[in-house]
Amino acid sequence: MRSTADVVVIGAGVIGAATGYYLAKRGLKVLVLERDFPCSGSTGRCIGGIRAQFSHDLTIRVMMESVRMFRGLSDELGEDVEWYSGGYLFLAFDEKRKQAFSDAIAIQMRYGLDVRFVLPDECEKIAPGLDPTGLIGGAYCPTDGQANPFKVTYGYLEGIKRMGGGLVAGCEVKQVNRVGDKVVSVTDAKGHDYACNMVLNAAGCWADEVGAMAGVKVPVTADRHESLVTEAVERVFNPMLVDYRSDGCYFVQHSGTGHFIGCYTPVPLVPGHDVEVTEEFITEMPRRMVRLVPKLAGVKVLRQWAGSYEMSPDGNPLCGETSVRGFYVSSGMSGHGFMFGPALGRLMAEQMVDGRASIPLDEFFLSRSFGKAEAMK
Amino acid sequence: MRRVIRMGYHSLEAVKRVLRTGMGHCQGRGCLRLIARLIQEETGIPASEQKLPRPRPPLKPLPLGLLGAFEDEERSSKDQVRING
Ligand SMILES: Cc1cc2nc3c(=O)[nH]c(=O)nc-3n(C[C@H](O)[C@H](O)[C@H](O)COP(=O)(O)OP(=O)(O)OC[C@H]3O[C@@H](n4cnc5c(N)ncnc54)[C@H](O)[C@@H]3O)c2cc1C
Ligand code: FES
Repeated sequence: MRSTADVVVIGAGVIGAATGYYLAKRGLKVLVLERDFPCSGSTGRCIGGIRAQFSHDLTIRVMMESVRMFRGLSDELGEDVEWYSGGYLFLAFDEKRKQAFSDAIAIQMRYGLDVRFVLPDECEKIAPGLDPTGLIGGAYCPTDGQANPFKVTYGYLEGIKRMGGGLVAGCEVKQVNRVGDKVVSVTDAKGHDYACNMVLNAAGCWADEVGAMAGVKVPVTADRHESLVTEAVERVFNPMLVDYRSDGCYFVQHSGTGHFIGCYTPVPLVPGHDVEVTEEFITEMPRRMVRLVPKLAGVKVLRQWAGSYEMSPDGNPLCGETSVRGFYVSSGMSGHGFMFGPALGRLMAEQMVDGRASIPLDEFFLSRSFGKAEAMK
Repeated sequence: MRRVIRMGYHSLEAVKRVLRTGMGHCQGRGCLRLIARLIQEETGIPASEQKLPRPRPPLKPLPLGLLGAFEDEERSSKDQVRING
């Protein structure tokens, strides 16, 4: 059996869905092939945070564009994606962290981001109930926010279908076929061929495996991150709180429902694709949350789960054409794939159609040499 | 739910990713059987053959303060937030 498309997208997470949507908007016939079902990978495990507070110039620019696009996304997709501009408050408990935030703020302000360093009393006003013990201030950007990863991804996929493209769920790509140095088709586990001019590897933390099918090395590794959600409560505060201490955490209250949802980055990291949950997390995470906001002590936890961050060597995305002509990659989002989705999706579509994106993505190209790591991971 | 099943989401996991079914207070312990029956009605896939989403702790909802083992009574008892009805 054989199908044809202009572009085959491998993976129906937010990256494949968004990029596929903007490719379809450029008039291409897009087929998204998904091993399980949409959002079965990291996208369905994500906590929905969106921010432009980063330290890397290109990341700041792309995220500012993403925030702009998120604001109009419900209209664009005809689906309420639950965008809510509650801001992000990064907390500093020592001078070194304060300095790092101030350095990042200086870069962010160059691009016109509405961001500032705030003192502990203002932190308490922004996040009522925050215990200021040990706090020396925070980096606050009110235009950061949150949205619903499921709604965003399904909205993009439905858009692709409306524009004449398609989604094939339960379709595991097993081979990426080329003639000479040019990609020509992919083959799935059932032996079905999909002929196409371009292939986008949007396989998230499995992008290394999909890359290897065409002989391309994609340096993505999976890191386990656990998460929990509480019952819904009255509105406590608006921003995502980020505590970067080694025993810190980050959490946000869902704007519509009132659930609190959050995670932390384990020390040391837990490499691999295993998404089992641990007792350590479900006792540590509550301790860290209640330490920051004592009045949450009575709020009940409904569920814990885990997912993978698809990490790149420097914490920035791995994008662009590979050494195989027509074979593109967009992965390595290092914990920020949801918020990258809209802007990076559109920019990658430009890259693939025009050979150049309106915000040049060179510093995210797979072929770059890996230097300084992102400071606001 | 029927609309989403008709859109082509034919498993409890796939429906859960669209509608968050089974992710509320009962964590699926009550409602998933009913949803499996809806999927059966719409698709013919027998409820008994449908794979259940992975159960995740805690078995029943527990307070953050209890899980985090806060001993400081005062800290965890005063000025608590209101639970949404
Ligand atoms: C706990 C947690 C919290 C997070 N919080 C945030 C946050 O607040 N904000 C944020 O921006 N990001 C967050 N992230 C990161 C974000 O979820 C990811 O970066 C993002 O979802 C990656 O999207 P993706 O489309 O690249 O990958 P995925 O969503 O993993 O999609 C890849 C898809 O490819 C499919 N696939 C793989 N191999 C094949 C194959 N051979 N054939 C066919 N299909 C295949 C998989 O089944 C999968 O569905 C969080 C992640 C976790 C785990
Ligand atoms: S989780 Fe809401 S009724 Fe079951």
